[in-house]
Amino acid sequence: MARDRWKLGWAVAVLVLIGSACSGGGGGQSSGESKEPITIGASLPLTGEFSQPGGAAKRGYDVWAEMVNEKGGILGRQVKLTILDDASEQNTVVADYNRLITRDKVDLLLGTFSSLLNLPASAVAERNRMVYVEPAGGAPAMFERGFHYLFFAQQATAPHQADVFVDWVKSLPAGQRPKTAAYPTQDDPFAKPVIDTMRKALEAAGVKTVYATVYPPETTNFDTIANTIKARNPDLVAQGAVFEDGVGLVRSLIKAGFSPQTLFQTSAPSNSDQYAKGVGEANTEGVFYTVSWSPEATYPLNQDFVRRYQQKYNQVPEEDAADAFAAAQVLQAGVKAVGEIDQDKIADWLHANKVDTILGPLSWDETGAPQSDFLLAQWQGGKSEIVLPKDVATTDNVVLPKPDWKQS
Amino acid sequence: MTHATETLILGLLTGGVYALLASGLTLIFGVMNIINVAHGALLVLAGLLTFELWRRLGLDPIASAVVTTPVMFAVGWAIYRLFVARIRTAPVSMTVLLTFALAITLEGAMGLTWKNVFRSVTPGYVNQSFHLGPFFFPKAQVFGCLAAVAVLSGLWLLLTRTWAGRAIRAASQNPQGSALVGVDIRGVAALTFAIGVATTGAGGSILSVLYPLFPASHYLWISRLLGIVVLGGMGSLPGAVVGALILGVAEAFTATYVSTRWATVVFYLVILVVLLVRPQGLMGSRLRGDVVT
Amino acid sequence: MSAADGLRRAVIATAGLALAAYPLARPDDAYGQSVLIFAFLLAVMAGGWNIMAGFTGYVSIGQSAFLGIGAYTVALLSLRTGLSPLLLAPLGGAAAALVAAVLGATVMRAREHAFVIITIALLFLFQTLALNLEGITGGSNGLTLPLPTWDRDIQNLPFYYVMLGLLALSVLLSWWIRRTKFGMGLIAIREDEDKAAAIGVRTSAYKVLSFVASAVLIGVAGGVDAYFLTFIDPRGMFDILVSVQLVLAALVGGRGTIWGPVLGAFLVVPLNEASNNLAAAEGLHLLAFGLALGAVVMFLPHGLIPTVRAWWERRHPGPVPWERRAPATTAARVPAAAATPRRALLEVAGLAKRFGGVAAVDLCSFTVREGGLTGLIGPNGSGKTTTFNLVTGMLRSDDGSIRFDGRRIDQVLPWERAHLGLGRTFQVTRLFPRMTVLENLVAPLRGFSWSNLAADAVSGPEARRAEELLDLVGLAPLAAQPAGRLSFGQQKLAELAQVLMLEPRLVLLDEPAGGVNPGMIEHIAGLLLELNRQGITFLIVEHNMPMVLELCDPILVMARGRVIAEGPPAAVQRDPAVLDAYLGEGWGTASRADPSAPVEA
Repeated sequence: MARDRWKLGWAVAVLVLIGSACSGGGGGQSSGESKEPITIGASLPLTGEFSQPGGAAKRGYDVWAEMVNEKGGILGRQVKLTILDDASEQNTVVADYNRLITRDKVDLLLGTFSSLLNLPASAVAERNRMVYVEPAGGAPAMFERGFHYLFFAQQATAPHQADVFVDWVKSLPAGQRPKTAAYPTQDDPFAKPVIDTMRKALEAAGVKTVYATVYPPETTNFDTIANTIKARNPDLVAQGAVFEDGVGLVRSLIKAGFSPQTLFQTSAPSNSDQYAKGVGEANTEGVFYTVSWSPEATYPLNQDFVRRYQQKYNQVPEEDAADAFAAAQVLQAGVKAVGEIDQDKIADWLHANKVDTILGPLSWDETGAPQSDFLLAQWQGGKSEIVLPKDVATTDNVVLPKPDWKQS
Repeated sequence: MTHATETLILGLLTGGVYALLASGLTLIFGVMNIINVAHGALLVLAGLLTFELWRRLGLDPIASAVVTTPVMFAVGWAIYRLFVARIRTAPVSMTVLLTFALAITLEGAMGLTWKNVFRSVTPGYVNQSFHLGPFFFPKAQVFGCLAAVAVLSGLWLLLTRTWAGRAIRAASQNPQGSALVGVDIRGVAALTFAIGVATTGAGGSILSVLYPLFPASHYLWISRLLGIVVLGGMGSLPGAVVGALILGVAEAFTATYVSTRWATVVFYLVILVVLLVRPQGLMGSRLRGDVVT
Repeated sequence: MSAADGLRRAVIATAGLALAAYPLARPDDAYGQSVLIFAFLLAVMAGGWNIMAGFTGYVSIGQSAFLGIGAYTVALLSLRTGLSPLLLAPLGGAAAALVAAVLGATVMRAREHAFVIITIALLFLFQTLALNLEGITGGSNGLTLPLPTWDRDIQNLPFYYVMLGLLALSVLLSWWIRRTKFGMGLIAIREDEDKAAAIGVRTSAYKVLSFVASAVLIGVAGGVDAYFLTFIDPRGMFDILVSVQLVLAALVGGRGTIWGPVLGAFLVVPLNEASNNLAAAEGLHLLAFGLALGAVVMFLPHGLIPTVRAWWERRHPGPVPWERRAPATTAARVPAAAATPRRALLEVAGLAKRFGGVAAVDLCSFTVREGGLTGLIGPNGSGKTTTFNLVTGMLRSDDGSIRFDGRRIDQVLPWERAHLGLGRTFQVTRLFPRMTVLENLVAPLRGFSWSNLAADAVSGPEARRAEELLDLVGLAPLAAQPAGRLSFGQQKLAELAQVLMLEPRLVLLDEPAGGVNPGMIEHIAGLLLELNRQGITFLIVEHNMPMVLELCDPILVMARGRVIAEGPPAAVQRDPAVLDAYLGEGWGTASRADPSAPVEA
């Protein structure tokens, strides 16, 4: 028992010495030199629970860096990305951003994926007074802390993501409007607020809620939920889905033999190839969803982005990749407008101005929450079409009611 | 009424498949006193293998149980010889930690190979149902349940009609006695473990068509399976079947009439209540290490 | 030892100072500080787990639940009251302690594998509760805490020092527990729970206390962690991988040691960081973690510190002083004749115990009178050991009554029977092999009280008393040896001394001379006589007839589960029923040529 203390003492002393030596070595590059690259640091969930969107976000950042550097970089300096893997874990993302800021001493930061990770990470950035533009993380909690340096690079926060759909429903003539609705949603900090706000708004507009349920994220069997939906027979089914659960519920509805007049799902239908494969292309017809980005939208640079992405990765970009690209665009705009790397000036400018991105124009209130609307999309003829807003709509047609399932 | 009956139907169909999934776990525990926490991960592995077979060769997933079962048998044998055999005599907590380590390692390996993406096997019948009056019987569930029954029957016959099966049952009740009558205990242990893991082959193949699979989903499966095995009685194959049906129905009814969020809690509560009140479950023999005080 | 001692202390002091000074030396290194903070946190969690799993032997894979409980308690209180979470952190510890107490009272009934499964289920259950009870916990949205109010130049320093302080507290707690009778009792429970109960350790209470001790500091750390992250959610706070990580840390360092968890944490956290930064491939991190855990369980199950220590001791064996001691007394071999009838100390009436169809004990009745040594003999399988088990409470009887000193003890739990003065040794000795002989002697508990539990086991009156008893039985030179290293005969003596720590009135001896050389038998017999003279009554099961016939009066004979004869040695030797039971038919009538020759059993 006495010897363990001896052993430990040596081990700890050695480790501490090594630790100090390591920390001494890793000095970052000094910023401010005129032709030195601008270093931008970010952590992403490249492994773990969020690795799929994390990987897409990384590709988005990489494409942005490539395109920017070809055009001469920002302020005449090339940009250099340092991306760390936080393994979808909160402890790690805090350590990662601490490291980027204090050890690698990056000039600028970009955010990570998911509110769960962005919440602690943005606190690190705010404590260090660095601008933090995040591509994904619209949960209301993000914006309730009075942060000044935080900016969310999508058009609206989670509770307002489906406002465009609600407005559309309210605009329908009485005969076509749904009278009853069911709201199954995943217990996800991003998807759930969307459905919660939608439900309240539609109830206020006279749409009766016949069924509402929250299911845990690991749910893979939707037969019982589909069974209940069938029993209650709603006109509208609005699901707070992430991805696999969106596909899962559709499959279960097909098995149960129930097809609602209108089907709305968050996120899931935006994963075009996988969604179509998952539910069967014919069954995508008429499904509504809101999305922050569309490959067909004609916002500036969007088509270039899509082309470049396809060239590099041989696939159509994912929404998460586009959101990452947009976040980087926001940061770029701020730096360019201010003319130097000054976090406070950049933050002030972004609060006061609009930025054109591939998602459309973005602007923020004082908490960093964006002020515009998502795009309302619908699957028609095996393709996603933008229905609203009108200025980027790809079709005037709206499919209503949703046709029945093609296999039963 | 229709709603409740349909819920019952869905619960029973699910429970039937659960029974197969849990059978291997209870067998391994009954004979070797080892809680194989990696059972869920092995199921997912088998499911992903089935996915590969389906993706590359177009093999029907339920039929590919014929392939995955022997493969998983070999995997089980290897795991036993390489890892489990070493610590057979260690305290139970150590074997739990080892199988946990195995589960995490498998999760990592599956993540590397198949990425952390949901994988579904979608043969033609995956969205179809048999309809009987107002009730629907999803085809995939029905086929899966039938296959599960077939495999379970085969397992039962193996255990009761063959010499190997008798040796396994003897070794589970009295290792020293069995050794004295000529049963090779070490060989039987390896065989049992391998058979237990082989059931995950068939089970995983069936799962792949019923649920999308994800490397990290093994936690949910092992929670369910532990609940089933505890309820049925650890070591009892009939108990596993009964426990699976009960919990399958309980899960379905909780999901429908309470909320899907509380459906998994059923399994945790069962584990807690059963282990504290009646540790041998419904049909198991009294657990060793029963507390008198 | 004192030179090495001094060196040890110096090294630990240096390490402690280095850690304390580190952030002052490099105040800008928020990264290094955050890594060390996580190391401290993991060390606190591993240390807590160690109390439960290392000392008490109950392995939990859900220990991180207490982190979540502490974190949520502190976060909710902080949000409601506006007070700083650092001030409220102790309440997180209180919440964790409360939950541990409630759980401990219900769950400690389970053993071994049931306990492990239960802890996994509890962790997931807590996670689900945190997710679903969103009115209270915020559900999957989690809870956000306001940013710390201190100057941003100080950054992580308060967290660093608070965590370091918690780490120091955790080590101190482990060290203190290890030195008390309470700690000895915990280790006794780990080594052999039923034996621990037999020597008066109130196992249920000890286990609950151990569980509480293992949880409280983790709860406090949870509160601090919540503030450090500024955001908590059910997934992060009730994460099974964190649980497994802390188990790995404690195992690597050395389960059951004081510094093992700390060492393990300081190894696991940097390795974790390194693997995160190097291996960006999906799943490689998990793969490495799983392999590391598996490797530790298979190849280094005892951990670094014990393994290194064992290796060191093999290389540097030290001499153990040993001298043969004369038997305790050579005074009269004949026990004091009892002229007046002595009162009944143990009364067994109609005792019965069935195992399935086998009636091991079948309407057994006898009385043991105070003072003197009573023998209990009988052929193999007659139910003697089962009777002992029933009397001491290790088995529950199906029928009949047992009275000790006039009081019915059938329903009384084993440790209480020990407190009443009933002691027992075992046929195959059951010492706690990994504790030293002295520690074995300090473990028994004469009565459950806080002062008893907190009594110092290493020095102080308990230890002195143990040393006296060791002197009495002649094992004093071996006091510091692990009990598992003693010879069988030495173990018998040690177990006897251990039982004497209870100050028993009646000691049940199960084959004290079994498997022991004749010289030792003499020694033991002498001891028993001496102890008897000092007032201890003995009930001795023995097969060594010369010893029984010399020492014991009366002698009870059991066969087929009941007492078939009773009386002084000479009478029993000739009793036809006894001869019949031992030797079968045909011997009953033949008288023996030499009545004093030993009857072989």
